[in-house]
Amino acid sequence: MTFWDVIQQSWSPMLDGLQVTIQLTLLSIVFGLALGLILALGKVYGWKPVRWLCTAFIEIIRGTPMLVQIFIIYFGLPPYGIRLSPLEAAVIAFSVNSGAYQAEYLRGAIQSIPSGQMQAALSMGMSRWQGVISIIMPQALRRVIPPWTNEFIYLLKYTSLAYIIGTPELMAQARFVASRNYEYFQTYLFAALIYLAIVLVFSELFSWVERKVRIPGFEFHK
Amino acid sequence: MTKDRDTVLRMEDVHKSFGDNHVLRGVSMGIRRGETKILIGPSGTGKSTLLTCINMLTPPESGKIWLLEDEITASKKVNLLRQKIGFVFQDFSLFNHLTALGNVSIGLTKVKGMERKKAREKAMQELKQVGLEDKASSYPAQLSGGQKQRVAIARALAMDPQLILFDEPTSALDPELIGEVLQVMKKLANQGMTMLVVSHEMGFARSVADEVIFMEGGVIVEQGPPAQLFSKPRVERTGEFLSRLSGLFGEEGEK
Ligand SMILES: Nc1ncnc2c1ncn2[C@@H]1O[C@H](COP(=O)(O)OP(=O)(O)OP(=O)(O)O)[C@@H](O)[C@H]1O
Ligand SMILES: [Mg+2]
Repeated sequence: MTFWDVIQQSWSPMLDGLQVTIQLTLLSIVFGLALGLILALGKVYGWKPVRWLCTAFIEIIRGTPMLVQIFIIYFGLPPYGIRLSPLEAAVIAFSVNSGAYQAEYLRGAIQSIPSGQMQAALSMGMSRWQGVISIIMPQALRRVIPPWTNEFIYLLKYTSLAYIIGTPELMAQARFVASRNYEYFQTYLFAALIYLAIVLVFSELFSWVERKVRIPGFEFHK
Repeated sequence: MTKDRDTVLRMEDVHKSFGDNHVLRGVSMGIRRGETKILIGPSGTGKSTLLTCINMLTPPESGKIWLLEDEITASKKVNLLRQKIGFVFQDFSLFNHLTALGNVSIGLTKVKGMERKKAREKAMQELKQVGLEDKASSYPAQLSGGQKQRVAIARALAMDPQLILFDEPTSALDPELIGEVLQVMKKLANQGMTMLVVSHEMGFARSVADEVIFMEGGVIVEQGPPAQLFSKPRVERTGEFLSRLSGLFGEEGEK
């Protein structure tokens, strides 16, 4: 079979898989962002026990393999009455994992904003919370876009791990297709090209967003 | 300390320590409406600390501070009182993600709850006051140091404060940019703004200060009208410090 034949035969299941991959990635990055924001704010501004909890959570997640986390959630929870579909289990695992990484990027960005910014906000009568929302986060979020783009790309590629618990994403579909046509090289090459294309599309999109929200001179600021 | 109705700021026996570093060791003073007081003293003496005690960014351990009738040090609503106390920082601390106009109007919208359009109009007025209406849409990184500091002053003015605290507003500026900032401050003083200014610009002190306060080691060593303090200080240390200053900054009075 030529590569072209492989593509023609398999594009339909592969696109189904791509759809699941994108769904899995977007849901996980968004839930992960919400979790990451909470963890980062808790770690930077929380009182001691909160800070400690956030730090512990982040370190545990970052210190254990992704696959172990997926297995715990998918295979480990049913005995406790929590039965999840493969997609649900994958979304939860990836959200939690990505949340821990996003928290660290956000924390770094928040702490890169000079302390004078908060001092100035408080001095004009803002509450601490208003200072965070109106002054610190608009700057920190701009700064976090480049590392966040990396995290998105990592996550997109990591979602391929979800095939192990039977989530019908792109990698699972590619395995399925290859097990039928025995064209392992060409089928996986096709899958790789789809991943590459989608990564390029998203990184282009995020650098467009970055340019769109850019503040003149801000990136060179101390 | 006299307690008349014109007194905007009054403090009694203010103490502040960082760990076992006893920085402020009992400071008492008052400022009446429309007065400009200049605070001088060697580095590490607690001048900045005194200013941040006044707006409670670093609350004092003991002593009392009043803004008009409100005791700041006992207030549960420090945010409300801070609106009435402008603060101008040595390093400007403009909000980096906002234009000059945004910097001046954000306090009006977020803190005072003013509607956007009115806030922008008022912010524009304040920028005009400091001579920067043509820079309204510039971001901080696009402004010179002197312009940044004037925006910071406009930002403080927009809140209609009872008092503005300045912490070495010109010491981060290139010499040729100092004049434009001092000129704005002088104009404010003449318009009757109440100001407490940490500054070692002796010419400025001489021409606008009602009183100069010399602080050292966490206490006020001497205070008095500039003419008296500069020409015949009562305390020897004041004279030593002043002569060292004019040695450092050249002959006073050219500004
Ligand atoms: N947040 C802080 N934590 C610990 N120590 C501090 C803090 N702020 C100030 N200090 C200490 O308090 C002392 C007084 O500092 P302060 O900044 O008030 O002096 P200053 O008179 O403003 O000096 P300068 O002329 O250098 O600005 C210094 O010894 C300083 O190290
Ligand atoms: Mg200081």
